[in-house]
Amino acid sequence: MDFGFSEQQEMLRTMARDFLTKECPKAKVRELDKDESGYSPQIWKNMAELGWQGLVFPEEYGGTEANFIDLVVLMEEMGRNITPGPFFPTVALCALPILEFGTEEQKTQYLPDIASGKAIWTLAFTEPSASYKPAELNLSATSEGDSYALNGEKIFVADAHIANYLLVVARTAKSKNPEDGITLFIVDVKAPGLKLEKIHTIAGDRQFQVIFNKVKVPKANILGTVNKGWNIVNFILQRAAVLKCAEISGACQAVLDMTSAYAKERIQFDRPIGSFQAVQHKLADMLIDVEGIQYLLYQAACGIADGEPSQLQISIAKAKASEAYQNICIDGITAHGAIGFTYDHDIGFYYRRVRAAEFAAGNVDLHKELIAAELGL
Amino acid sequence: MDFKLGEKEQTLIGDIAKFAKKELPADWMGTRLIDQECADFEFEVSMSKKLAQKGWLVMSWPKEYDGQGASHLEQTVYEMEVSYWGIPGAWMGISGIQWVGPVLIMLGTDQQKKKYLPMIASGDMDGYWCTGYSEPNSGSDLASMQTKAVKQGDHYVINGQKVWTSFAHNARWCWLMARTDPNATKKHRGLSLFIVDMKSPGITVRPLPNYYGRHHFNEVFFDNVKVPAENLVGEENRGWYQLMQALAFERRSLGPITAGGFRRLVEDLVQYCKETTCEGKPLCQNPVIRHRLAEMAIDVEMIRMFAFQFTWRLTQGAIPVYEASRNKVTSDEIIRRFATSAADILGAYSQADPDSKWARFRGRIQGAYLGFPGNMIAAGTDEIEKSIIAQFRLGLPKSY
Repeated sequence: MDFGFSEQQEMLRTMARDFLTKECPKAKVRELDKDESGYSPQIWKNMAELGWQGLVFPEEYGGTEANFIDLVVLMEEMGRNITPGPFFPTVALCALPILEFGTEEQKTQYLPDIASGKAIWTLAFTEPSASYKPAELNLSATSEGDSYALNGEKIFVADAHIANYLLVVARTAKSKNPEDGITLFIVDVKAPGLKLEKIHTIAGDRQFQVIFNKVKVPKANILGTVNKGWNIVNFILQRAAVLKCAEISGACQAVLDMTSAYAKERIQFDRPIGSFQAVQHKLADMLIDVEGIQYLLYQAACGIADGEPSQLQISIAKAKASEAYQNICIDGITAHGAIGFTYDHDIGFYYRRVRAAEFAAGNVDLHKELIAAELGL
Repeated sequence: MDFKLGEKEQTLIGDIAKFAKKELPADWMGTRLIDQECADFEFEVSMSKKLAQKGWLVMSWPKEYDGQGASHLEQTVYEMEVSYWGIPGAWMGISGIQWVGPVLIMLGTDQQKKKYLPMIASGDMDGYWCTGYSEPNSGSDLASMQTKAVKQGDHYVINGQKVWTSFAHNARWCWLMARTDPNATKKHRGLSLFIVDMKSPGITVRPLPNYYGRHHFNEVFFDNVKVPAENLVGEENRGWYQLMQALAFERRSLGPITAGGFRRLVEDLVQYCKETTCEGKPLCQNPVIRHRLAEMAIDVEMIRMFAFQFTWRLTQGAIPVYEASRNKVTSDEIIRRFATSAADILGAYSQADPDSKWARFRGRIQGAYLGFPGNMIAAGTDEIEKSIIAQFRLGLPKSY
């Protein structure tokens, strides 16, 4: 058993932290919070030059052949810095399944552009019921000659406005088992009949409703096999859950660090508030949750890196992380007092991201249900 | 990074399972978790002997003291599995295994090692210990203790009172902390550790039943008790620092014990919920119950990871300070959530006395329910532990 990171992973962490502190300080995060596009093309390009988007790709697709744990380290740092931008949808939600299930042509066509920072991708999955259950997927894809026509609606599609491609989860057949008849399509965002409407969110991230009105998609753009897409969805959700945990883990560490620092410098009753046990015990609880998230995350990530993903470990990590993220932010804000409630303080930026993080790749209830199933209930 | 157990550990898990199935009664469901209570002391001692014969009882001790020189990881796995199966007799009282032995190996004289370690290692009834720390006026502020040990020639004379002394009624020896220098500049500088024979004249053990009437704690009175000078452990007046080491050993086992014991309870509850019908439906189809069991599984996995992380720190040569407190607080929180949730699942049956024929799981849920507040106090209250985390991990100012 080994709880330590490799020297290379430690270096990656330091490099990522330095880069993000310099290129994306909180002033930049605030600036992008109000910017129309919500991300910085320059930072995106610089990340690509560091090899981040293609971190886990083989060299032939422009990658550096790092493993899944390395990606976790990187995403922890992004979460720590609440870096705005389309990294999570592009890499976690789209690039990983293309790498795993794409044809040689698809991989050659799409992955190098992702690695070089040219292409941005996002996943169009949930529909107005906002559920991850297969029975709730109704956007239809009908075969018409050498293409499919997509009709329906997707909601909470991140960064669709800057994306080049959408990976769309569609229903190609209705059957008794709702997992059958699901197919994934690679869709050009500029395709006729595709309409975006912005959803204003509390996180200030860019999310969209996407309407599909007879959107034509060539058959060559199917990822995987027709009607057998649910296993790809599971693949995406497992990895996305773990990588979202990594973001949460970094964010929680940041909130703990800033709250702990504030407790040491804020003086009331002639002493630092961190000398009061009411504050100390809150911080101790936060620390326990932060470390809980970390080890559950690393265990689940190791399973994936070793090619033996455990649904139980993944769901335990995601459920714990989602719940703890919320509690840590609330405790962090209240420990700060009124200053924590202001736009000028960083902590609110972390809290505003809680709900989106909880929903991503399955909310707490969904993962508890998955855990119950794994327990044999 | 790697979270898999090795072949050695996997074999050990299998061997302990075989042992438990062979040596424990078929309907055995473990000790009552919280106070490790085993009503049948003779059976407990017989199991200690069998664990000793297997070479497991003191597996982490060096070979020269009858141990196996087992790794920290093996020791952790062993503690998890002993707790999972509810094997009694694994600790030699409170606790020859967890701290008396390890501290004596570190600080004891050759004579002490020769005399006391074999009694513990063999699982003998004379190797059972109790521990005398707390006093009526010295709980969390332990260093304020007043029990005195005054040196007179070749022995010390002990006067005073200890309280919450688990197992004193069965223990052969007491691991006692007393004040040897009443004039020390700081209160924790004048304390020393002693080995006291519980058969010495002048010792009175009085039961202190807990709020549900069970006898686990005692008051122990020392009235001019003569203890040979050779029974001083380590250095005179350095007892506090030695005790900190002993407490670190004590808190070390909490993670594995909680992880193992509760893994078993979750499995048993899952089975119960599959087999028990309520209002025409098995309990396992009730979404509220499903989520509660999922929450228990999350808790068990978290303390399991904490236990292994602590162990890994030890293998790195670190002395985990705040990690011990983290595991203690986490264990306590988990037991609390578990006990209250499991009691809800049992519904009306949760009010049955643990020994009643109406009690499910031989009263283990009620045992946990009644016992967890005691857990949150024993070996350092959660408030004290959280202050340790704040001070030693987060660098906040001392608060008391």
